[in-house]
Amino acid sequence: MKFAHLADIHLGFQKKESLQSMERKVFEAALDDCISRKVDFILICGDMFHSNIPNMNVQKFAFAKFRQVYEAGIPVYVVYGSHDSSPNSTSVIDLLVETGYIIKVQKTSQTSEDGSISLDFVTNKKTGVKLTGLPGLPASREIEYYENLDRQSLESEPGFKIFLFHGALAEMGPAEAKGQDVAKWGDSMPISYLPRGFDYYAGGHMHKYVHRSMDGYSNVVYPGTPFAGYPSDLEDNARGIKRGYVLVETDNSVAGGVYPDASTANTSAPLRVQFIDVPNYQYELLKIDANNKSSSMVYSEIDKRIDAVDPDGNMVILKVNGTMSEGKTTDIDFDKITETLLQNNAIAVEINRNSLSSAEYKIVESKGETNEEIALNTFAENIGGFKSPLGELMGQKGAELAQKLLQSLSMPSLQNESLAVYTERITGDALRIMRIDDDDSDGDDDSDSDGDDDSDNGGGSDGDDDNYKKELWNKGGEKG
Amino acid sequence: MMRRDNSTAANTRIVGQVIGGEFGRVAIRQKAGIEMEIGDILVLEEKDYNILLMVFDLQYASQMDDKMHEMISGVSLEEDSSGNVQFYEPNLVNYVIAHVKPLVRVKKGGSPADGEPVSTMTKTLPPFTSKLRSIEEEDLKFLDGGKDGLFVGRIRSGSEVKNVEVRLPINKIFTHHVLISATTGRGKSNLVKSMLWHVLESRAHVGILVLDAHDEYYSGFVGGSSMGGSSMGVGRRDAGPGQRPYGLRDHPDAVRKVAYYSVARDKRLPGTRTLLINIQSVKPDHFDGVVDFSEAQRGAIHTYYNRYKEQWIRNLMTINTTDTDGSREEGTDDKRSKKFSASTLNIIRRKLEMVLGLYNGPDNTLRAGNTIFDVDDRGGLTIREITDMIERGQIVVLDTSHLHSETELVVGNIIASELLNRYKRYKITGELRHKPVTSIVIEEAPRVIGADVLKSGNSNIYATIAREGRKFKVGLTAITQLSSVIPRSILANMNTKIILGNELKQERMALIDSASQDLSDDDKNIASLNIGEAIITSVFVPFAMPVKIPLFEDVAASAARHKRHTNSVRVFG
Repeated sequence: MKFAHLADIHLGFQKKESLQSMERKVFEAALDDCISRKVDFILICGDMFHSNIPNMNVQKFAFAKFRQVYEAGIPVYVVYGSHDSSPNSTSVIDLLVETGYIIKVQKTSQTSEDGSISLDFVTNKKTGVKLTGLPGLPASREIEYYENLDRQSLESEPGFKIFLFHGALAEMGPAEAKGQDVAKWGDSMPISYLPRGFDYYAGGHMHKYVHRSMDGYSNVVYPGTPFAGYPSDLEDNARGIKRGYVLVETDNSVAGGVYPDASTANTSAPLRVQFIDVPNYQYELLKIDANNKSSSMVYSEIDKRIDAVDPDGNMVILKVNGTMSEGKTTDIDFDKITETLLQNNAIAVEINRNSLSSAEYKIVESKGETNEEIALNTFAENIGGFKSPLGELMGQKGAELAQKLLQSLSMPSLQNESLAVYTERITGDALRIMRIDDDDSDGDDDSDSDGDDDSDNGGGSDGDDDNYKKELWNKGGEKG
Repeated sequence: MMRRDNSTAANTRIVGQVIGGEFGRVAIRQKAGIEMEIGDILVLEEKDYNILLMVFDLQYASQMDDKMHEMISGVSLEEDSSGNVQFYEPNLVNYVIAHVKPLVRVKKGGSPADGEPVSTMTKTLPPFTSKLRSIEEEDLKFLDGGKDGLFVGRIRSGSEVKNVEVRLPINKIFTHHVLISATTGRGKSNLVKSMLWHVLESRAHVGILVLDAHDEYYSGFVGGSSMGGSSMGVGRRDAGPGQRPYGLRDHPDAVRKVAYYSVARDKRLPGTRTLLINIQSVKPDHFDGVVDFSEAQRGAIHTYYNRYKEQWIRNLMTINTTDTDGSREEGTDDKRSKKFSASTLNIIRRKLEMVLGLYNGPDNTLRAGNTIFDVDDRGGLTIREITDMIERGQIVVLDTSHLHSETELVVGNIIASELLNRYKRYKITGELRHKPVTSIVIEEAPRVIGADVLKSGNSNIYATIAREGRKFKVGLTAITQLSSVIPRSILANMNTKIILGNELKQERMALIDSASQDLSDDDKNIASLNIGEAIITSVFVPFAMPVKIPLFEDVAASAARHKRHTNSVRVFG
């Protein structure tokens, strides 16, 4: 018997064309490899897509690929992940299930008396392997499922069993967590929530390959992402972290099913768990320490360092960290840097400047009883560093305006409110607070009316920036 | 309990009258038909104030001299088998004198909401011959601390429980340290469980680390996952065969607010986290107050730590020291380490082996002999994970019942140090005010804050927390049978003491001497406390409060039933 285990593919995460193409290439390569190796089935343990309803192009691509796998006679078993699940609406996974290309293993029946959740097994006909599992939820809320899970029925089931799950297990944690992993491991759940005695625990959610066995839990595996689901994954790739999927094999015969009578519970020969490397880019990683340097010094250092690398055919990641002693972050022309690298045939350029700041913009924290008061006091404390000819944007008036704006922009979306409606509502509120009439800007905004719920679509307002500014000036001028 | 006859309706509330005494020791003649108890609270009404007084001593008194009593008894015993021989008007002739002390003076109709002090200390003697009545719930309304306080129990007058809740200001009591004192079987674990449960009930943001040496708080079993009763001998009342008693895990918010770590690997309750700590998390000062190292050994340890940082234990345990003169190390050119003799290093190794359960394998690789410390790549996040949870206002229970006492203390030290250091940083950055108050619950506290541990200037993290943790919102909740062995300087810093029954005079005296209120006359009161009865002395209560702690099983049962009914989770998809 032979099966493949993938997770955290995050199809639709990449926005740049070149990265999108790599995202798809590695996915295709992994599934093609599964087909050529003639695996008996494939497991995908959540976050197959980056959102529950990804862009149509992504859906089209995924459907075509899964159809190919289906036609090769390889069943694909899945659970939802924290990204592609949505308790309130449908997921594209449901469409794939409807077409029969993939099979969802989270078959539940709830016993009403004590509120516990019973899971049913899905049996793979060819091998007799029994599969079950639970989905991941945003913000690790799946823990409620495990709290109420009827483990006894799962543990007493005979046969070769696989449990699919999506979530961080504390016991699988590394010696040290960095970057995105810190938050992920912070929400981890104890392994004791999983039923014991399964032959393989197919996990998703953690983006690096880990394989461990512990008392009662043999072969707990995260395959990691095959490419990237977070910006920090690309940095890990550049540091040499291998990406791919996991291939699991036993020597048992497949004919008639490995465990046709389902009575030989995990007494078989040990599983061979093998990580299959699926290569993606060659990388160049540049790290710049901006601490105590002026913006011009940082810029020239970047320039110099870039000269020393060969971007040709590589993906270049530039990471700039630290607090500059003088100058603004906008003094560094990152667009130009990107352009230069691309002109020198870099396949893609990623710039990480999230941790770059300047001492010129040092925010002084202020006290207050409530969050609103703290925000207002902080604005009031720092607004002196902001220069504007508009009186309304300065002093106490400016601080109050900023606080109102912050409050308005912090409003969460309503239940079932689409992103487009939410964006419009929030933008409208913000404009009203700034006393800017947004009627004029509607004319340029028709490009967003196709109903495509792309999560990256910011409302198509980029082109209106100049209008906003003009309006702001005019209003401010009238008042002044 | 105060009993009355029901014959005199008009005077039914009057229980006695002041007949003499002195300030702090007023003598009351007990009314016939009333049976006062040590610990009874009485009320003396003045025009605008009520004075609450507590009975602390009782004695017989009579208008006749002893000879006459002896004579009457002789007649009754020897001559009159019917027992009808009585005094003429016995209620007037023989009576009981109760000695009472003033507790507090309370403004009538006052409320804490008025902003003025409702209760003050009494500084005068009550008028001679003034009458006292038994306390009513109405008289205790001034204690109403709102619903935000930590519920500890209900006010008790003697052994009669009044329907008046005692709630302590939760943020203050934990940072100002709590001492829970009792001998075995007086309801200590019931109190701790009940307090932790009510921390979960309160809206306050409190993070607590519990070093549970008996593994009894989370699952309700002593010993965690196996069946057994609590140390009070009280099991779950409605528990049939195979059912388990209640624990913190039955709280409706347990999934979100309680984390349970254990090293036990079999028969684990679902949700149990693995207590696995990478040895890289262990630093030299984590052994302070736990393992006795000589100066030379200490020097060697610090040198290794400075040189190898988180790899210090690995290197100290594995670098070969078997050279002949005992003064040189092979495999290193570290000049500084050469000054440590092989015997010094071997002693350190033996101590580390014992406490951390490590040993050097045949191929000179470090191995872990127990289940808590990992020498490879696992358990690196555990300490941070636990500290994060405490910082998020959760209760983290560590089952340390499977650990050697010294190992338990080292684990506690690691987390306590991390927590205190983290909160010290928050103090500097100004973030501390947004962080929840925290407390570390430790049993058999003299193990870490006993005088013998802290002798000769030794200190450890717990003593540091007791002395200065308040500034950083880190407190200690120390549970002990032996308060007398805790240094006075630390005992005095424990600003809330919950005193359960204690038959040892020496222990009672240590508590009385360090109490926040004057308990000098309460020795008998403390000695006579029954299971579940307690006296709370604290800078945050107006007088030393007699309370009845609720039975945890009762508290948990209704909430757990509610949890079962509302916990209907549906898996979507």
